[in-house]
Amino acid sequence: MFKKVLIANRGEIALRINRACRELGVKTVAIFSEPDRESLHVRHANEAFCVGPGPVARSYLSIPNIISTALITNCDAVHPGYGFLAENARFAQICADHGLTFIGPTPEVIGTMGDKATAKRVMREAKVETTPGTDILESVDKARRAAKDLGYPVLLKATAGGGGKGMRVVTGPDELERAFAGAQNEAESSFKDGRLYMEKLIVSPRHIEVQVLGDNFGNVVILGDRDCSVQKPSHQKLIEEAPAAHLSEKIRNSLYAMALRAAQAVHYTNAGTLEFLVSGDHAYFMEMNTRIQVEHPVTEMVYNIDLVKEQIRIAAGEALGYTQSDLRPRGHAIECRINAEDARNNFAPAAGTLTNVVFPGGPGIRVDTHIYSGGTVPPFYDSMLAKIVAFGETREAAIARMERALRETVIEGVNTTIQQCLEVLATDAFTSGHYAIDFLPGLLRQADAA
Amino acid sequence: MPGNNVVERVRSLVVAFLDTDLVRLRIERDGGHVELRRARSRSATPELAEPQAPDAPPENVDAIKSDLVGIFRFSRPLPQTGDMVDSDRELAYVEALGIRNPVRSIGSGRLVSVCCDDGQPVEYGQTLFEIQRV
Repeated sequence: MFKKVLIANRGEIALRINRACRELGVKTVAIFSEPDRESLHVRHANEAFCVGPGPVARSYLSIPNIISTALITNCDAVHPGYGFLAENARFAQICADHGLTFIGPTPEVIGTMGDKATAKRVMREAKVETTPGTDILESVDKARRAAKDLGYPVLLKATAGGGGKGMRVVTGPDELERAFAGAQNEAESSFKDGRLYMEKLIVSPRHIEVQVLGDNFGNVVILGDRDCSVQKPSHQKLIEEAPAAHLSEKIRNSLYAMALRAAQAVHYTNAGTLEFLVSGDHAYFMEMNTRIQVEHPVTEMVYNIDLVKEQIRIAAGEALGYTQSDLRPRGHAIECRINAEDARNNFAPAAGTLTNVVFPGGPGIRVDTHIYSGGTVPPFYDSMLAKIVAFGETREAAIARMERALRETVIEGVNTTIQQCLEVLATDAFTSGHYAIDFLPGLLRQADAA
Repeated sequence: MPGNNVVERVRSLVVAFLDTDLVRLRIERDGGHVELRRARSRSATPELAEPQAPDAPPENVDAIKSDLVGIFRFSRPLPQTGDMVDSDRELAYVEALGIRNPVRSIGSGRLVSVCCDDGQPVEYGQTLFEIQRV
C-alpha cells in the first residue's frame, strides 16, 4: 500500500479521496490555489501546498507545481479525482516518469479513450455498438456529405470534448455551416483541439452508464448501471440514480456484456465508466470516462462498496478481492447535485460567501460536500457545492427520502439548484421513472412559458 | 518552564534586534511567528507585534515571493538581513523538478527579512525575502 498520496484536486472530491486514504492508513498531501486556502480539503490533509493563484491554468492544471509538490513531500502516488488532470494522458505519463503511481488507468488507455473518435473505432472493433457516425471531419464539405448519408438530425461533436462543449445539434443542411464553425471554435477554445466528428442524433434517448473496475491481473467486474438522464440544457447532469428504472433485462444484459468486452479489449485497469445512449431496444456506446465519476456514490450505496478505496488498492497492485458473482446490488440510490447556480437564469453560476449552511441527516442520507457556513464560493471553479445522496429499499422510498433531505437543506448566500431538484422529483415523469435526456430542458421550457 | 523559555528567547531577540539597523524582523517557526518592528517615532524600544495580528507591511517594503513549488536554497554570497542588494542580485533559488529557478532581488534596497531556511520546501506565493526599497 502507498505511504503518501497527493490529491490533485479540490472541493468535495478532494475530501472524498482524503477520507478513503485516511481510512486506509495512507497519509495525504493536498494542493490548493490561493482562494482555496481555507477549504476543508486543505484542513483535513496531513500536508497542504499552495500551487498557484485562482485561475485553474496556473494552479490545479499546473503540472510542474503539482509534480514538484508530490516529489518534495515524498508522495508515492497521485489521485487526480475527476475533471482537471484526471483524463490527461500526458499528466499520467509524467507521473510515471517521476516514479509516481497515477491512480487510474495507464496513459495509453487514457489517450485511446480520451480521443472520442479513436475510442469509437476501438469499441467497434470490440463489437460494441456505437452511434452511426464518422471519423474526424476535415471540412464543412465533408460534414455536409456525411450528414446526407446519415440523415438529419445529426450531432457535431468535438473529438477532445466533454461536458457538452463543442457540440451542436444540426436539424437540416441550412444550419450545418454555422454549427460547424461554432462547434469548431468552441472546441478550439475549450480543448485547444478543434477537430470534429459527426453522429446520427438519437432522438430522446436515455443516458445510461455502466461502472467497471479492473485490476492489474486481468480481472474486470461490472458494478451495475446508473441513469443520468436528468440533464441541464448544457448536457450536464443534475440528478442520477442507480439502478436505472424500467431497463429491460435484455438491454441491461447487453449493456453489461458490451462494457465487459470494451474493458477487456483495452486491458482496462482501475475505475471507469462507459456511457451509452439507450433508445427503445438499442444501446449505443457514447464514450468512456477513464476516472472516478461525480455520481459514483449512488453505485457505492447500492453495492455497499467504496470505489475510491478500490481505486487506491488496485493502483497499489492489489487484486480485486471478489468476482462478479459476489456482487449483488441492493435497494435504490439517488443523487442530487446542489450547484451554486440560478436555475431560472439558464443555470448561471454564482459566487460569493455562504452565510448559512445546514445539511440533512438521518437514515439513508449521505452528503459529500466541501462547503461550510462562512466559507466562500470562488468564481474560478465548477459550481457544485454538494452531492446529496438518498438510499431506499425501493425507488419510491429513495425519492421520498431525497425530498425530505432536500427540504432539510439550507444554503444561504448564493442561488442553488435545490428548488430545481425538488421540482424534478415532484413530476410524474420522474416518479414514474419514464424520462429521457430531453426531460429537464422540456420542464424548463414549460416553466418559462407559464 | 517552556513559557519562561519563550520569554527569555524573545527578550534576547529584542536585544539583538536593537543592536542592528533593521526596521522589521520576522521569524516563522512551527506555524507561529514573532515579529519585531521599530516604532515609527524612531524610539529606542521596538514594538513587539501581537503574534496573530494581521500583517501591515511597512512602507516601501516589497515581499519577494515564490512563484513555484520546490526546495529553497540560498545563493552565494549568503544573503543576510541588513545587506544592501543591487537591482538584480540572485539571492536564492528554488529547485523544482531538478531545475534551479533563481530568486532575484528585483530592484535594489536593504534586505529586511530572510523568511526561509536553506533546504526548506516552499509553496507558491510564499514570502522568501522582504526588501526595503531605498
